[in-house]
Amino acid sequence: MSYFFDSKNTEQMPKGRVEGIAKVTGKAKYSAEYDIPDVTYGVMVGSTIASGRILKMQIEEAMKAPGVIDILSHENKPYVSGFSGMKEMPDNRFGLPIFYTDKVYYNDQPIAMVVAETIEDAMFAASLVKAEYEEAIPETDFAKKAKEVSLKETENDRGSVGAWENAPYKVDQEYTIATEVHNPMEMHATIAQWKPNDKLVLYDKNQGVNRVQSVISSLFDIPTDNIHVISEFVGGGFGSGLRVWPHTIAAVMAAQQVKRPVKVMLTRPQMFTMVGYRPESWQRVKLGADKDGKFLGVIHQAKNISSKIQGFSDGITRVTRKIYGFKNVKTEEAIVDLNVPMPTWNRGPGDTTGCFGVESAIDELCHELKLDPVDVRLKNIAPYEMETGLPWSTNYLNECLEKGAELIGWKNRNPVPGSQKEGDYKIGYGVAVGMWGSGRSYTGASIDMQKDGVITVRTAMTDIGTGTGTGMQNVAHTVTGIPKSKIKIELGNSDFPKAPSQGGSRGMASVSSAVYAASLALKRKVAGYAWPDKDANTLNIDDISLSDKGITYKDSFLPYADIFGKNNLNDIKVEEFAGPGEERKKYGFCSSAAHFYKVKVHEKTGKIKMDRMVIVADAGRIINPKAAANQVIGAGAGGIGMGLLEEQLIDFKTGRLIGNDLAGYHFAVNADVPLIEVSFIGKPDPNINPSGAKGLGEVGIIGAAPAIANAVFNATGKRVRDIPITVERFFNA
Amino acid sequence: MKPFEYTKPKTVREALSSATRHSHYIAGGTNLVDLMKKEIDEPDKLLDITNTLPDQIEVKDNGVVIGAMVRNTAIAVNKIILESWPLLSKAILKGASPQIRNMASAGGNLLQRTRCPYFYDLTLPCNKRKNGSGCGALKGNNRMGAIIGYSDACVAVHPSDMCVALAALDAKVNIQKADGSEETMNFLDFHRLPGTNPEKDNNLPENALITSIFVPKNNFSKHFEYLKLRDRESYAFALVSVAAALDMDGNQISEARLASGGVAHKPWRWTKAEDFLKGKQATAENFAEAARIAAEDTAPLSTNAFKVPLLKGAIETALHTCLTNKA
Repeated sequence: MSYFFDSKNTEQMPKGRVEGIAKVTGKAKYSAEYDIPDVTYGVMVGSTIASGRILKMQIEEAMKAPGVIDILSHENKPYVSGFSGMKEMPDNRFGLPIFYTDKVYYNDQPIAMVVAETIEDAMFAASLVKAEYEEAIPETDFAKKAKEVSLKETENDRGSVGAWENAPYKVDQEYTIATEVHNPMEMHATIAQWKPNDKLVLYDKNQGVNRVQSVISSLFDIPTDNIHVISEFVGGGFGSGLRVWPHTIAAVMAAQQVKRPVKVMLTRPQMFTMVGYRPESWQRVKLGADKDGKFLGVIHQAKNISSKIQGFSDGITRVTRKIYGFKNVKTEEAIVDLNVPMPTWNRGPGDTTGCFGVESAIDELCHELKLDPVDVRLKNIAPYEMETGLPWSTNYLNECLEKGAELIGWKNRNPVPGSQKEGDYKIGYGVAVGMWGSGRSYTGASIDMQKDGVITVRTAMTDIGTGTGTGMQNVAHTVTGIPKSKIKIELGNSDFPKAPSQGGSRGMASVSSAVYAASLALKRKVAGYAWPDKDANTLNIDDISLSDKGITYKDSFLPYADIFGKNNLNDIKVEEFAGPGEERKKYGFCSSAAHFYKVKVHEKTGKIKMDRMVIVADAGRIINPKAAANQVIGAGAGGIGMGLLEEQLIDFKTGRLIGNDLAGYHFAVNADVPLIEVSFIGKPDPNINPSGAKGLGEVGIIGAAPAIANAVFNATGKRVRDIPITVERFFNA
Repeated sequence: MKPFEYTKPKTVREALSSATRHSHYIAGGTNLVDLMKKEIDEPDKLLDITNTLPDQIEVKDNGVVIGAMVRNTAIAVNKIILESWPLLSKAILKGASPQIRNMASAGGNLLQRTRCPYFYDLTLPCNKRKNGSGCGALKGNNRMGAIIGYSDACVAVHPSDMCVALAALDAKVNIQKADGSEETMNFLDFHRLPGTNPEKDNNLPENALITSIFVPKNNFSKHFEYLKLRDRESYAFALVSVAAALDMDGNQISEARLASGGVAHKPWRWTKAEDFLKGKQATAENFAEAARIAAEDTAPLSTNAFKVPLLKGAIETALHTCLTNKA
């Protein structure tokens, strides 16, 4: 078992991430990097049609290739209880019943896996695997099919449409967003190793080891405790690691079949078809207001791509019911099932998409009313949580807007589109906001103290690059008083106290509470050993503090050596769990952000450049400012991708993706990203959890894309309602 | 990737005589290795020619000779190139990434294959990959495709930036053939249009090697621009690129060069627009007219109509930049 920093070198602790040195020295092991004796290599083979049935697998050539051990497919697979009898599925909680169906639902659907002695052997043999198909005409065109699919009530309406339909000012517009692929830097990978007595070890790239455990447990009908999942380092997720995908299940099946460990690594093109994406979407927003810009009501309708395997609704209209104090709201949604790979949650799922519609529509309304978009938003912020009627615990969206306006110099913006120039560029400013429901989940953490006073804090939660481990160290240090150089962090391991998946901006809000509780427990436990004559449970916890040397209670001090010695201890262990409680019934919780962007648009070529990006977020207490700013910078860069660049194209005839690699699919590179100016309101939320942290992963991207489009409108007078704003969309607007 | 044999000949002659029907030469490998990984090219044998070809940049009285093995980066940062052929340097630096430029050879840059997504996906039809299978891009997604010089058989574009500058600068390609003879080809004749046999990218004779590239002396080192318009600012192929160079006499244009990438199966010269500019004053009106003349011969495909206004804007902008882009 490795850990986040070299224990021999504790004095040289990095000031940044706890895992920073391990990462930059290559010591950090990602899932595919574990060296497992006798390992074999699995390579996934995808279908070459988008709809139909496999008549026969053609594997003779491949079986003859050097090093091939076996080829799994629906014609040759081990028994999996969860898939048995699932020939005609779909809609089950596991998604694609890999190797348990002869049906093809999308192009590049995994239909076989070659297992061979080396990765090279496996890749070559995989290229020789073919299938004979009975082909059907696939449905792949979202825009075309969306027109035929009826909307359904979300059953969250408030007030009545009649109350505002005759509002003096109304916007009624349609907006679309292209499919966006997560593309974390680390490609998904799994090593599956069966051990005697139905025990299974999985080194797996994911965002939640306990989730992987429970899915594999129910699929293979083995106890959860038999499955050990290790995901110590995760090179980005953005939501792609929240599900257990077919390649992981295939690795487990293959390891069972060949009776040796199997390592599967997805290729970059497979990252576009096998681990989800943010679905293409259509929205219509009808927004009514009075002449002062007070919102009277809204109808928000949305449709998103779904697969033929499993229904997936992105929840696009949710955000509209949340941010503003609409008394009258009607929301309708629909999913449009196509012969395409399965979509899934992608950073700020639903709300990021929905905000593009609503925040663009608000900008359109402000332009028509000749009102300032910041003032109008300030006037309409939800005074309480609209869906529950509960008061906000804290909601500083107003302060985000005020601070952001100040930082970008909003008062100098000319609201007349196309009126500001710098050289050959037109310039424009745009604003939009985002909100995300805050919450936490039941989470465990343990602390293990050694005789030298070094503590190790553990949780099953993964750190997908967000700084979870660093935040845990910060909390443990703040609460116990032990210097950071003596605090080790271990995480992403199902042997550690249970934790939820890292997603939905809940990681820090959840784990900080658990570490807080464990830190308090450690103080009391050490105090109990130090002064057995006192009742440790009744001592004022604030009077107890730990250091690198020992424990202090008021004026008394005892070194660790004495405590461990006189109690004959090897270590002191505590484990605590924390989760949401009564506060959820009393308050509404949210994180929010305001985006203020300046763009430059070249007059002759339509080239759009992000010139300045100011993002102000209210995420409660900021536990680690560096890691938090890092989160928002990444989200801002993702926002540029969504607003200007990212678009997964599809060949309608065949359902093949077009340009599904890092050269063909354009997310923002450094050259596209200006200095992103991040600031935080930083006021702790007193009710959400002991740390006051509300969660930050999503809000940095929610509102980013509309802020770009609104800035482009201010610069040029062109209202682009279809994103990303590639040059053709800009020219056509 | 299919298993293959690998050898490293010591001379061009040895390389040429070791070649077989199923062998491939490899220099930088920045494109070939991708093609092999994608199973588009499946050579039985790789002949590593990195030790055989010249890797020097040599100045002659009438121009410069760039050895076929000079890495792209080495050309771009070469002092003489920067002084006398700065357009070439600028074009190279707009291509690929530093890592790729460090590996890629000068000769290989000419021989790289299209990045048309239909060419790269074995399950899709592509006449360039397999003549007779059809062109998937013609009626499919062709936003990256050609707007001039294409045929029903192929709408792919040549991906190079460096080659656009070489086309603008009237370079020549020196070739050695298997029988020991040498040949010099005008750069503009090196690449070809797809016609009915798009599987052939260029006119390099059967089993021959590019040994060097010659760029003649010119008066374009003071007024030049390479403008590359693409979906993102780095590591993306051109939607449209423009190499522009002017030889100025006061405000009068004595000679103009205009070439584009991202528009055709080969680096494209806008000769009619060049002819128009010759002898004209360098004014916004004349630049706009040159752009209009260039664009009038284009005919976009189903999903790349935007490339026409983009081309016009790019030509105008590049010509304007020539006036201020003084080396």
